[in-house]
Amino acid sequence: MRVKLWGTRGSIPAPGPETIRYGGNTSCVGVTLSDGSMLALDAGTGIRCLGLAQPDEPTRLHILLTHLHLDHIQGLVFFAPAFRPQTEIVIWGPASPEASLRDRIARYISAPLSPVEVRELPCDVSFRHTPESEWEIGSARIRSASVSHRGPTLGYRIDDGGSSLAYIPDHEPALGADLDSLEEDWISGFELARDASLLIHDGQYTDAEYPDHVGWGHSATGHALSFARRAGAERTVLFHHDPLHSDDQLDALAAEARQKWVELGGDPEAVELAAERAEYELPARAPSAAATASV
Amino acid sequence: MTQRPLELILARNLMSALSTPAFLVDEGGLLVFYNEAAGMLLGKRFEELGTVGPQEWGSLFGPFDEQGEPIPYDDLPLVQAVRAGRPAHAEMTVRSTDGTQHDVEVSAFPIQTPHGSQGAIAVFWPSLVNGNGAGAA
Repeated sequence: MRVKLWGTRGSIPAPGPETIRYGGNTSCVGVTLSDGSMLALDAGTGIRCLGLAQPDEPTRLHILLTHLHLDHIQGLVFFAPAFRPQTEIVIWGPASPEASLRDRIARYISAPLSPVEVRELPCDVSFRHTPESEWEIGSARIRSASVSHRGPTLGYRIDDGGSSLAYIPDHEPALGADLDSLEEDWISGFELARDASLLIHDGQYTDAEYPDHVGWGHSATGHALSFARRAGAERTVLFHHDPLHSDDQLDALAAEARQKWVELGGDPEAVELAAERAEYELPARAPSAAATASV
Repeated sequence: MTQRPLELILARNLMSALSTPAFLVDEGGLLVFYNEAAGMLLGKRFEELGTVGPQEWGSLFGPFDEQGEPIPYDDLPLVQAVRAGRPAHAEMTVRSTDGTQHDVEVSAFPIQTPHGSQGAIAVFWPSLVNGNGAGAA
């Protein structure tokens, strides 16, 4: 399984000279499974570049949406494969009692917000409510679970060839809870992240910023690391950077995160901040084997 | 260990922050949490008691009806709420570990999710009829 970060920013795109290294695109992670199947986790503005990197040939793509906040779907109408008749796209996302997944996404992909309507997309696109049970895509077993955020929101776990990726980009597990003392089964998202080879997790706020953002649906660095440590994640990537955080601030946050990880008894090399275009190879091997990274 | 449904997790987190006695059961009617205020009423913290089934709950705390008869577990508002998927309300007496009796009113409502009922919450209020209610705990 190969993982590539195409968008690491939260809330709103943040392009500019101060965000070049960590990136300004919003949430999108590309996953190539061991059998060659292609997944995109979320469709923030990062999916535009993921789409441009896809070969112009008949393809089946799965897009797994955690939720429908704009920073996770904004790139859909700029996803080049969606404009190719030979492409089949399956979009998975959380169910809602209010309207179907297609209808909720169509509120964005329709006038006046979009120049095209869903029905006008040349590709073969279908929408599926993410099941609560496990299911298979290609060589992977996919699992999802509702997690603590604002509105119906999912986290995902992808197991493929003995390696596992947990993706929980918008998550506030510490809301009203003490992550250090709570039983594991009472921690939001815990089973998704348990012993994951690679955990991509919300780390939007610094510990100092968090008290002013309680209930906004995101994690402080310390909470994200406590969650990751308790879950036994082998490698943790803090994701969904606040749009106000510059590269220099994120460098400082990365150093702080590594220090905290050491204090929690971990290897400082096993924690990092998500950088756009970073790639991770999760080899087909025993689940305890760690992911290796390259940028 | 099975992950609890998010709705139960959030309910527990909310209840932990309340000063009103509150109880949480899972979809099977098993008592899986009560908060500190409820612990003060009962004389035993949840962390001391842990998850309990109907038999143990009844032997420890009652509850009792106006005639002092034990209320069957199946008739408790919490259990009715989780089984019928409807809110339920009742007056009853609970007994704390030191033998003190508390007259309370209980309001219970189910936790309905897109995936069905996941459990129920009950909140205890001091009885307006008798002065020895939850607020006196």
